[in-house]
Amino acid sequence: MDCREFEELITEAVDDRLRAGNKRHFSDHANVCPSCRNEFEMEQITKGVMRGRIHHETTPRETYFAVLSSLRQSGSTSSNWLTLIFGEAFLNPAVALVALLMVAVGAVSLLQKSNAIPISTEKNIITQSINNYSAAMTGLLKPTLISHDPGDVKDYLSKDTPFDVSVASLEGCDWCGGVLSEVDGVRLVHVVYKIGGEGILYVYQVDMNEALRGNKIGLPENVKAVLAKTGWYFEQTPDLCNVVLWRHKNTLCAAVSKMERAKMVALLNDKDPL
Amino acid sequence: MFAFSLAITNPMKGLHKEFEKEVIPHTDILYNYALRMTGNADDAHDLLQETFLKAYRFWDKYEKGTNVRAWLFRIMKNTYINVYRKAIKEPDTVDYNDIQNFYNIIREDSADANDLQEKLFGHLLDDDVTKALESLPEEFRTVVILCDIEELTYEEIAEFVECPVGTVRSRLHRGRKLLYSKLFEYAKKRGFVGKD
Repeated sequence: MDCREFEELITEAVDDRLRAGNKRHFSDHANVCPSCRNEFEMEQITKGVMRGRIHHETTPRETYFAVLSSLRQSGSTSSNWLTLIFGEAFLNPAVALVALLMVAVGAVSLLQKSNAIPISTEKNIITQSINNYSAAMTGLLKPTLISHDPGDVKDYLSKDTPFDVSVASLEGCDWCGGVLSEVDGVRLVHVVYKIGGEGILYVYQVDMNEALRGNKIGLPENVKAVLAKTGWYFEQTPDLCNVVLWRHKNTLCAAVSKMERAKMVALLNDKDPL
Repeated sequence: MFAFSLAITNPMKGLHKEFEKEVIPHTDILYNYALRMTGNADDAHDLLQETFLKAYRFWDKYEKGTNVRAWLFRIMKNTYINVYRKAIKEPDTVDYNDIQNFYNIIREDSADANDLQEKLFGHLLDDDVTKALESLPEEFRTVVILCDIEELTYEEIAEFVECPVGTVRSRLHRGRKLLYSKLFEYAKKRGFVGKD
């Protein structure tokens, strides 16, 4: 065995994987070549340091349970997805109590409608968006996928959706989630963002042509006119929710949030949708 | 009156229990890999969570009966590369002859491998060892973690990183050599080994 052949076997020797036939030749060469022997020993020592100093760790309980929880939210086996998107704030007893009461009220109406969730009975897209924002806040509108990565949510929502879905990488966004629905054959996309410190931002999306035709869902004429002229439309509800409509490629987007309008527009305008 | 109901259905409903049964037993090995790659518990937590969510989403793409651990590992590795990887600067140039010469000198005093290890690196802090590992380029670090810490076989590592066993072996050799140089450098800086 020469030095080159010896070097090729060093790693296997360190990991005790040398074949019987090679073991003796390896050992013979190490005994007559101090330089090769040293190379072998240095690699052996390195492995010894790694094994002795870096230990296999058990997954921390909080990580383990957080992962399980997020998987179960993703599996939609529980309606408690709000805990995930609200994070620690939702653990506040006062917030939790109010939310639970709201969910309870929602649950009663849910039972009355035999598993159908009455998010909105309005044809007007703006009213639908506001109602859906409330449903997202109370937990009735549940994203079927929640992720840190907007790309994941976009991929998920884009499957079989005949228009461009917009899921932006928003500054300060902790989570985003999405869910699909259909009404009379019209595909609707719902995206929910949890913006740290600002709460929930809900974005309703539908095919622009469908919205303009107005056969099944639609917009008031004055809204269409403003949108066509400026590319944006703003409205504020009596309880101070801001509604922003804009066009993204062939998609009409309607965002609803309690955020200040300027902040909302800056956030939505500043980011290139994925 | 126009009414619509929002269908809250998950396309993967029903597979959830099966998914958990297959995937959860591999949490620890994935967490450890995430921890060694990202270098901190918070990022490891996030990386693990992202990995499982992606795996759940693509569960229908997983080929039943194949190595689920390797499949999960590849999802984690790709997520790490896309989201968490920081550019690792080229390792500092170390005079390898210097290292060999020093080893030769202390080798003359002792032939016992444990004693040599203690003399060379016994005074290093655990943090130095962790930093040395983190300084390795990703492809070398991965095989060192999987072989030396997680004690996987070459064959399983090859399946994880999707390369031949021979490549695993050569990456291990190169990775350990770089690691030795890095450990030597730390020991030298701390004055535990001779400064020429």
